[in-house]
Amino acid sequence: MEWLADPVMLARLQFAFTTMFHIIWPVFTIGLSLFLVVVEALWLKTGEVDYYRHARFWSKLFLLNFGLGIVTGLPLEFQFGTNWAPFSNMAGGFFGNVLGFEGAAAFMLEAGFVGIMIFGWERVAPAMHLFATSMVALGASASAFWIMAASAWMQSPAGGYFENGVFQVQSYLEAIFNPNTPWAVSHMWVACLETSCFVVGGISAWYILKGQSVSFYARSFRLAAAGAVVVAPLQVWLGDGSGLFIVHHQPAKAAAIEGHWQTNAPGEGAAWAILAWPDAAAQANRWSVQVPNLLSLLATRTPHGQVPGLREFAPEDRPPALPLLFYSFRLMVLIGLYLLTLALWTAWAWGRRRLTAEAIAAQRWLLRAWVFAIPLGYVAVEAGWIVREVGRQPWVIYGVMRTSDGASPLPAGAVGASLGGFLLIYTALAIAFAVFARRLLRHGPDLTLRPSPPQGEPFRTGATPPEEEERP
Amino acid sequence: MDPVHLFLSNVWFGILGLLLVLYVVLDGFTLGVGIISLFQRKEAHREVMSKSLSGVWDANESWLVVFAGALFGAFPPVYGLVLHSLYIPVMLMVVALIFRSIAFEFRSHGRHKQRWNLAFGLGSLGTAVTQGMALGAVLSGIPAQGGVFTGSIWGWFSPFAAVTALGVLFGYILLGAGYLIVKTEGELQDQAYRVARWSGWLMMAAGAAVSAWTPLRFAYVEERWFSWPNIAYLAPLPLSAGGAFFMLLRALRRRYLLSPLMWSVAIFLASFGGLAASIYPYMLPGALTIMESSAAGITLVFMLAGIGFLIPVMLVYNAYQYLVFRGKVSVRSKGYR
Repeated sequence: MEWLADPVMLARLQFAFTTMFHIIWPVFTIGLSLFLVVVEALWLKTGEVDYYRHARFWSKLFLLNFGLGIVTGLPLEFQFGTNWAPFSNMAGGFFGNVLGFEGAAAFMLEAGFVGIMIFGWERVAPAMHLFATSMVALGASASAFWIMAASAWMQSPAGGYFENGVFQVQSYLEAIFNPNTPWAVSHMWVACLETSCFVVGGISAWYILKGQSVSFYARSFRLAAAGAVVVAPLQVWLGDGSGLFIVHHQPAKAAAIEGHWQTNAPGEGAAWAILAWPDAAAQANRWSVQVPNLLSLLATRTPHGQVPGLREFAPEDRPPALPLLFYSFRLMVLIGLYLLTLALWTAWAWGRRRLTAEAIAAQRWLLRAWVFAIPLGYVAVEAGWIVREVGRQPWVIYGVMRTSDGASPLPAGAVGASLGGFLLIYTALAIAFAVFARRLLRHGPDLTLRPSPPQGEPFRTGATPPEEEERP
Repeated sequence: MDPVHLFLSNVWFGILGLLLVLYVVLDGFTLGVGIISLFQRKEAHREVMSKSLSGVWDANESWLVVFAGALFGAFPPVYGLVLHSLYIPVMLMVVALIFRSIAFEFRSHGRHKQRWNLAFGLGSLGTAVTQGMALGAVLSGIPAQGGVFTGSIWGWFSPFAAVTALGVLFGYILLGAGYLIVKTEGELQDQAYRVARWSGWLMMAAGAAVSAWTPLRFAYVEERWFSWPNIAYLAPLPLSAGGAFFMLLRALRRRYLLSPLMWSVAIFLASFGGLAASIYPYMLPGALTIMESSAAGITLVFMLAGIGFLIPVMLVYNAYQYLVFRGKVSVRSKGYR
């Protein structure tokens, strides 16, 4: 357990843990806020009161997630300074500025309108409420864009040069839209949409299976299923593109993910290992189950294309924790394919006959497969994040700054204590969330709710605010 | 020295000051209400206090995120140095903020309201104290060489920092009481008037102690304040703080509605101006000047376009939020949870 005395390792674990805990919440709020925009717009368009009740019901779950997202996001921003001061110093001129931009342009928009979205139902007109919900959704997605652009810059720094250990921006356009940005943003954003589709659809399926409010939940199930049919195939395509990015820009990471040690000779294809146990000391896989030529096909689109093996790179430039990378990647791919299959199955069932509430309720196995899918998106996101960030090692800024050079020199005891604190507190938060979310879902929707007109007229201009009137 | 860069760096010093003021005032009253709830015995009153914030607190806390991000981008070495040297208070503040925010979100779901209320109050108290400690540590000077922290991990702790912490604590309580005067009525409002009076006196006492102690302890402050003609330019700041305090006491006596909060904010602004006047042109007294630590010109321009021009927009929709949730709060008020 000598890593317990290594402050850099502890700082990495702390950042990894706090990030992976944080990511759970925005993944759902980004997707769910768009879902809320859709049901609210449908309510205004059709006048169907069930859509209003859907908005009210799901926004409770939204608030629970949003609160956790806010509180767990704050430690991340501060950790760049507390635990990664040399990195902040080197990258701050661009990286910090993107974080500031995220706070001002995106996060503030979200936080500024979320109060009206949740508590303003009886205080503003329906159209204004829809506007507030849309701003929350826009802020959430814009936030994802900026955070992923910053993260992408660490994977493929661009748009400037390093001088005296400090990054100087030459072109903001190139730095923000660095080679990794299009893939990082789209793959993550679609992951949020996909996870949310299967959570909303899966919860709806659970109610339908129980026979509770079947026609009510058939509406949300149909919406989620329609979304899944679009995003599940899209995500597989984006995943493939992200993989090609790694092959071209981060070949050591690609070789590590695939457990590929020896560059294939010309005229021979590289095999893809379905299962294997990579051994860093032996510089080989202890055992493996392989499909011939598949890695060459995936990475180069030709059966005999050359793929550099991990032995091409100096040991100190290879990513650590090879089995973790290898299996995280395969888990993510497996889940992506399961969700794709489920989306196609649903589309097929939908194509055979119209998905009325009764028709949905009759498809027991399809519904069970949806309930099973509720946690899978989250698992895939975490696994993908491990592949992305552990695979980036040993660099904090790829090819420029080593992670060990980016850490603040702190005593191991201090970092260990804060890491222990986060472990304890976040476990408690997760338990509290589980208890309250369960309570919300058991309680179900309030089917007696009716939209009421806003009290007073909040848009009066030139009127005296009541504070003044009540002055004694 | 490039005059354009000098100008941009000073503009950003000003913008960061503005963002910090916005955070301190807006989250200050939010935290203040939380602290006051600690010595509130009636559950129904605590319910009202919590309700009065539910529509607006997210945005108030978000100013800290904006401030930290802007500091990170505009003055990267300051961001790393301050947070690294203040590892313990910053981590404690983060934990306290988690407690107060999560208690806010969860209390409506929980069956044991008292426990969540306690977490809300203690979290607010912890946030105020650690922020005050951090202020004291920064004013005391952070030991650094070439922008790298050379001090001890416990270096932030000092009697001076304890006094600044008290000042911030009572200041937040005052702001919270001012907010409650506006948002509540009856018994709760009477109580808020009383809290505002004693917290105002205690804040002024702590403020006076800090003002007397700093020039004695730090030569750079003495030089700044007690030399001619500086003293003539700077004297209006303490004078207006004193004047605002007089007006605050008068407003409390006459039971005005909005003015107690406004005069409390005025005291904050004057004290804040005094602090800025003491440390300028340093970002961190004795360690880094504005010019030594600001990012390159292109970064500052880009941030000005991205963040600076957004501040008025943010202010507009934040103000709209207060307009929507205006008026008195009571236990049965609709539209809240």
